[in-house]
Amino acid sequence: MGALGKPIILMIAMYLFLKFVLPYIPGSAPLPSSLIFLYLLLTAAGIVIFETLSGESKEAFWGPMQRFLTGENIGGLQALRYGILVLFPLLIGWQTYGSTASSDAPPAESRTIHPAPPGEYTGLSNPVPKTPENIMQGKGFYAAFCSPCHGGNFDGKGPAARGYNPPPANFADPTTIAMLQESYLFWRIKKGGVGLPIEGAPWKSAMPRWELELPDEWIWKIIMGEYDGAHQSPRTWE
Amino acid sequence: MKRVNHVMKRVLRGAVVAIAAMTIAEASLSFAQESVAVKATIVTGGLPVDDPNAAIWSSAMPATFPMSPQVHWPNRIQEVTVQDVSVRALHDGNQVAFLLEYKDPSEDLDDAAAFEFMVGDKKAHFAHGQPMLQVEGGPVNIWFWKHKDDKAVDMTAKGFGTLKPQTHQDVKAKGAYANGGWKIVFSRTLSTDHPEEDVQIIPGEFISIAFAVWDGRKDAVGELVEKGSQKAVSSWWYFRADAPPDYSSYMYAAIAAVVALGFQFVLIRKLKKGQ
Repeated sequence: MGALGKPIILMIAMYLFLKFVLPYIPGSAPLPSSLIFLYLLLTAAGIVIFETLSGESKEAFWGPMQRFLTGENIGGLQALRYGILVLFPLLIGWQTYGSTASSDAPPAESRTIHPAPPGEYTGLSNPVPKTPENIMQGKGFYAAFCSPCHGGNFDGKGPAARGYNPPPANFADPTTIAMLQESYLFWRIKKGGVGLPIEGAPWKSAMPRWELELPDEWIWKIIMGEYDGAHQSPRTWE
Repeated sequence: MKRVNHVMKRVLRGAVVAIAAMTIAEASLSFAQESVAVKATIVTGGLPVDDPNAAIWSSAMPATFPMSPQVHWPNRIQEVTVQDVSVRALHDGNQVAFLLEYKDPSEDLDDAAAFEFMVGDKKAHFAHGQPMLQVEGGPVNIWFWKHKDDKAVDMTAKGFGTLKPQTHQDVKAKGAYANGGWKIVFSRTLSTDHPEEDVQIIPGEFISIAFAVWDGRKDAVGELVEKGSQKAVSSWWYFRADAPPDYSSYMYAAIAAVVALGFQFVLIRKLKKGQ
């Protein structure tokens, strides 16, 4: 049983790791079941290749399986054999049902929160001098134009936010503006939701296209006010 | 040795409990994320197209959606009366009827509500299908009801300022105000002869749907507070008319099980012969 037992334990351990350990490693996320299946398939393929490298290990690996399937001299395992022979077709039937039955779930939506900006909006630096007056003015514009959704506390919880899906960005969250450059914010504010590429699902965003209403200088000041108010700094490459 | 076995058993039992707990937590999480779609249940024997208070509405599951003041384009509004809408739907294979319900403290002649649908395969921006800069969008179909007229207007839009009533009016609506709230029924045939303008409802398929509400109250100087683009809006959600029950999956499952059984039989026979 040694040549068979180890692979079985390895497969189970691999599954438990992928399903229950990997998602909790910081920076990771739950794996889709199709990916888990693929990884398990790769693991199984690796095991088969390893176990069949030599004639001897091949016999040690396949031999017990063949004896088990044909039911010759397996004694007490006979009941388990019948169990597996009954369960295997049922499992196949169940899987087929699962993959052909119509699902009640709406179409899955994958939306990229920070898609790549058009080339002309990369690497621009804020032309407005970072003075206390300009920051203060930016915060004033923010209060007037942005805070209804993005919140007076820069937390995305403004009074107008509740009905919007996707929700307005929370600037205090370290995974939003702290990860982005000022030129990225300039693009997002100027072009708004309708300026997003297809992976950003522009049809769902309520973000206004502010270039139609605000001069560029105000937008740069708003960016300054946002970073200052949310206690974040723009990402730089130095 | 016995002690080691005992410890092992406890560890295993603990692991089983932990895995079960995680599975249950995951299942309940996916359940909580679910209220994103309105589903039209199939009924036979007529839809309550003229009756917002019909008893049969209780057989449809309500879906609740949060509303926001419209801020996407001017004229904006900072605060709106209606915070949530509840929507139910029924269909009979030919017609669909929606029941829209929301709280509104006052009954006003200018109270109004609307449904919005994406039309065709192209995505449409939820603000009247306005043009997107990097994606080619499609039009939206809007079903508009106003208390003053108590009827529906079937409209089309593709961008700001393009909203107009269609030449073919296919939608019916009827509202009833009671106990501080509106109940409005909208109905239409599932499909129409104008697929470029009207949403075509195919049972089993998900369609993007959004809602808008105007509270017709007036301010101190007699001006309407909510009008035009100053309204309560929702984001895109989903609507689906249930498909008739389909048992073909059971047949496919049975075929697959029989094939698997045959495979086992052949495999074992070959193995036995080989030895």
